[in-house]
Amino acid sequence: MELAALHLKLNDRLPMGVCVVDAGYNVLYWNDFFADRIALRSEQVLGQSLLSLFPAEARYLKKKIHSVFVLNNASFSYWEHKPHVFPFSSSRPITGEETLMYQNIEFLPLDSEGGTVRSVCLLVQDVTELASYFQAEQQLSARLELEHAALKAVNEKLSMAQNQLLQSEKMAAIGQLAAGVAHEINNPIGFISSNLQTMQDYAGRLLKLVAFYEKVTAKTGTETTQAMQRDMQQRMQFDFVRHDLTELLAESIDGIDRVAAIVKNLKSFSHVDNAEWQYASLVDGLENTLKIAANQLKYKVEIHRDYSDELPDVYCQPMQINQIFLNLLVNASQAMDAGGHLYLKVWQLDANVFVEVRDSGSGIEPAHMNRLFEPFFTTKPVGSGTGLGLSLSYSIAKKHQGDILVHSVVGEGSSFTLVLPVHGSDSPTEETTENEFAVEGNESS
Amino acid sequence: MNTLLNEDQRDALQELMNISMGQAANALARLIDAQITLSIPKIVVVSASEFHAIFQSDNYWFTRQSFLGLVKGEVLTLMAKAGTETMGGLLDYPVPLNETSQDELLLELANILAGACLNVFSSQLDLNTKLSMPTIFSEQMRKAESYRWISTLLMEVEFQLEATAFDSRVVICLEGQSVNVLIDKLNQLLED
Repeated sequence: MELAALHLKLNDRLPMGVCVVDAGYNVLYWNDFFADRIALRSEQVLGQSLLSLFPAEARYLKKKIHSVFVLNNASFSYWEHKPHVFPFSSSRPITGEETLMYQNIEFLPLDSEGGTVRSVCLLVQDVTELASYFQAEQQLSARLELEHAALKAVNEKLSMAQNQLLQSEKMAAIGQLAAGVAHEINNPIGFISSNLQTMQDYAGRLLKLVAFYEKVTAKTGTETTQAMQRDMQQRMQFDFVRHDLTELLAESIDGIDRVAAIVKNLKSFSHVDNAEWQYASLVDGLENTLKIAANQLKYKVEIHRDYSDELPDVYCQPMQINQIFLNLLVNASQAMDAGGHLYLKVWQLDANVFVEVRDSGSGIEPAHMNRLFEPFFTTKPVGSGTGLGLSLSYSIAKKHQGDILVHSVVGEGSSFTLVLPVHGSDSPTEETTENEFAVEGNESS
Repeated sequence: MNTLLNEDQRDALQELMNISMGQAANALARLIDAQITLSIPKIVVVSASEFHAIFQSDNYWFTRQSFLGLVKGEVLTLMAKAGTETMGGLLDYPVPLNETSQDELLLELANILAGACLNVFSSQLDLNTKLSMPTIFSEQMRKAESYRWISTLLMEVEFQLEATAFDSRVVICLEGQSVNVLIDKLNQLLED
């Protein structure tokens, strides 16, 4: 008896709720943990239904307790899933941020006979502290994760930027090297070319001389001398030599002219920092750039030209404009890996000249449209694109008070149109025209 | 296996398990009002890598639950991901399940299955075991090196719910020292 009274006292001092119910969900006992919070002593609730005492969670309690009675097996309730089964206020009413107590509950078969459970004990643990710690930690880790992701993105961007810088530096170095080589090659090409032309002249004279001798021999020579001449000419295969010599020389001259043209293009192109403003023909610029890009284009792409007659020269920095053309042409060729058609169109409208580069390639994903001119944006595999081409082109166009308009359909191809005012920034109508086209460009994208 | 239990002990344990599972299935069927099929319990001793292999499937949820008493160990429950919704419906959960209610369901289900298996078994042998709360066994924790491996006796039961995709396996793992306690108990039983 003494011990039983001590047990009850102990129960009341436990830092957890203890409640015992019978098979009809009626309360047989609860300790002070419950009594203090509900303001009903154990004696007062004796025989009352736990379900009607806590109607808000009656269904849940019933389900849990029922399973214990049926299975003779403990059941559990977690604060993560059901934080506030009993409407007890927080254990930290003054300083805590929580208003309701977080609870873990164990439902235990307390007393059973022959496999039939007669009473179930509920043990309610206050885990508010744990829960709020856990939640704070989760918030923290979520925040950390976000920051981590942001940092990672920045890191990626940085390393990409570094790659691109290296790449563009490399390109610049190659450009200078090419210019140097072109300069060195230019001299020998010069004298080879002029020597070849002189040789062509001399060869012509020699052949004429031989023809003259042949005539003389035919008229004045004896049978013997004529036979000797025929014999010698046959041994030397002179008929073939006479014919082939001129052809060989003509071919060589043509070849060296082509080499000279390539070197000239290379030289003019590698002077990208040659930022001289002048009136220049865009068609010439486009054609020169085409020659540079020819090896990327010629075997797989059919080029269609549509140039208006009597186009005015445009006030621009020709080398910079060529840079735009090169970017557009290279992009077009890369969009047509499997071959296709390249349409080049140049026309004038009011005070602007338009240059359209249209391909029948893969087109641009709508999602990429508004990032096209972003520096370092590229969809090409790592190493094959710097992501600078279009952004550079765009900034050059803007510097010329011009614009680049894009229209693209996935699977059908893309068209890029460079718009330049004929008289540069002095053009009076440039502002309005540009706006008109900018709107059109947006619609099409 | 043979090093731990002799033939007689094994037969006795098997018989006990059979009885336990029958009762467990009965209780479960009463609770969720559906027909449950149970496999014949398997009693095996597994190596660390075999044990590890159990948890490599992506088709199951895993929970773990420790128990204390005369024997100590953990119960690991594997539940087919495929049948979770059906079970939710049967156990009176609002379907479709969200992340929280799914965890809740899994833990409740694991507790029911593990409890059913262990309780009947332990009362037969008078082992007086008490199960603690189950927790979800997350994938990061499923690494072989994280197991404290001594010698483990596995008792494995498969539950299948008829006409559903749900199936589950309950694996009772006994800690090394507890295997000896179990053997003693079995010997007593055999002597009687």
